[in-house]
Amino acid sequence: MTDDRADTSTVSELSDEQLLTVRARLPQHVVHRSFVSETVVLNLRTGKYHGLNPTAGRMLDALETAPTVGDAVPGLAEEYGLEQEQIRRDLLALTRGLLERGLIVTADDSCD
Amino acid sequence: MTAATEQLSGADGEEQYRTAFGLELAIDQRVSIAGIGHSPGATARPLSRVRMDDGELDRRWEAIDVEPLRARELRFGETLLLSVDFAEPAGYLLWARDFGRVLISPDGLELLCEPDPANADWARLLAAQALPLAATIRGMEVLHASGVVLDGTALLVAGPPGAGKSSLAAALVRAGGQLLSDDAVALELSGDTLIAHAGSVVLQLRSAEDEQLSADERAALGRSLGASGGKQRYLSESAPDPVPLGGVLLLERSADEPAIERLTAVNPFELIGSTFNLSVRTPSRLQRQLDVVSAIASNGLAYRLRVQPDVDATRLAAIVQAQLAVAIS
Repeated sequence: MTDDRADTSTVSELSDEQLLTVRARLPQHVVHRSFVSETVVLNLRTGKYHGLNPTAGRMLDALETAPTVGDAVPGLAEEYGLEQEQIRRDLLALTRGLLERGLIVTADDSCD
Repeated sequence: MTAATEQLSGADGEEQYRTAFGLELAIDQRVSIAGIGHSPGATARPLSRVRMDDGELDRRWEAIDVEPLRARELRFGETLLLSVDFAEPAGYLLWARDFGRVLISPDGLELLCEPDPANADWARLLAAQALPLAATIRGMEVLHASGVVLDGTALLVAGPPGAGKSSLAAALVRAGGQLLSDDAVALELSGDTLIAHAGSVVLQLRSAEDEQLSADERAALGRSLGASGGKQRYLSESAPDPVPLGGVLLLERSADEPAIERLTAVNPFELIGSTFNLSVRTPSRLQRQLDVVSAIASNGLAYRLRVQPDVDATRLAAIVQAQLAVAIS
């Protein structure tokens, strides 16, 4: 078993503004499936399962397809009828959490 | 439909062909194993060979030059009851106290058996642990559940030990169902469809419950194999062919009247927790495990069954059949 946690110092060194400009994506060793109650994210390297509530699961979907983290904000704000600033805060917190756990990587990172 | 035989016996080196947990098996005639169906004939699946060990197990295990990974162990207090170790290239070494050892090759196609000579019934280890493990390696996802075929589909009953899985399965068999497996059912994802494969069709019923049954009710369960460990064992006449999965009942104790509810928002981790074998942690298996759980949920096959602890199994089976028909419609 390997610890796939990202270098947390690198993640924490990114400012919010910098993080909004990166592209997030799932590495090949991470898969996820959506259920009504939650989204299950599985790291195939560690064998560890992670549960995301439906909103976080939807945000993960948006992160996967958006060119940058920031680009995912307007659509999610419209979808949930919330201010973009609130969505931005929640999305940044989720992105940092996923990056720290190695469940997403930035587009500059190696694939596996 | 495949006949399930109680005993296999014959000359050394001869094999008989059986099918269980989605595996096509060539079993050494010296292995006596109950409740494993006859193979219906050649299929596209490769044969998994179950052989009696002639010293090969030790030779292979001692030849490994890496520290084995302890993939699983089961203890009662301080006493180790079961362990699974993995090391390439030997494979998975399954050991169970008072039963012996089985070395399963990394591809699941060979099972070398080294029985505990003091236990004439050692081969139960095959049906209970070794074959489900081999099936998992071969691409099946095995659920810890009792299973019954009703109206051409498989109804599985999952829940914690002692929840009443076997009792309900027995009652459903008495009501006209056919036993698919007492304890573990192999599921195969074929496109979006889940196919259920029979495991061991030996039903184990608590003796206290068995004593409440009439002679006719016992006869409906199959041929008695006698009692063992406080349980009466019955061998079904035959093992059913693979059938589509019709539902998974997740048992939950409740003070209320028995009731079935289709779960639109099933907890995926409850289903993952019902999968049988956690020794195989390869990426392909982990993804398959999640895919199977996802298919159960997305196809609307998960149901909550709330039951009182002391509910009569025959009455419960009638309620299950009636309410399930309504839930499905």
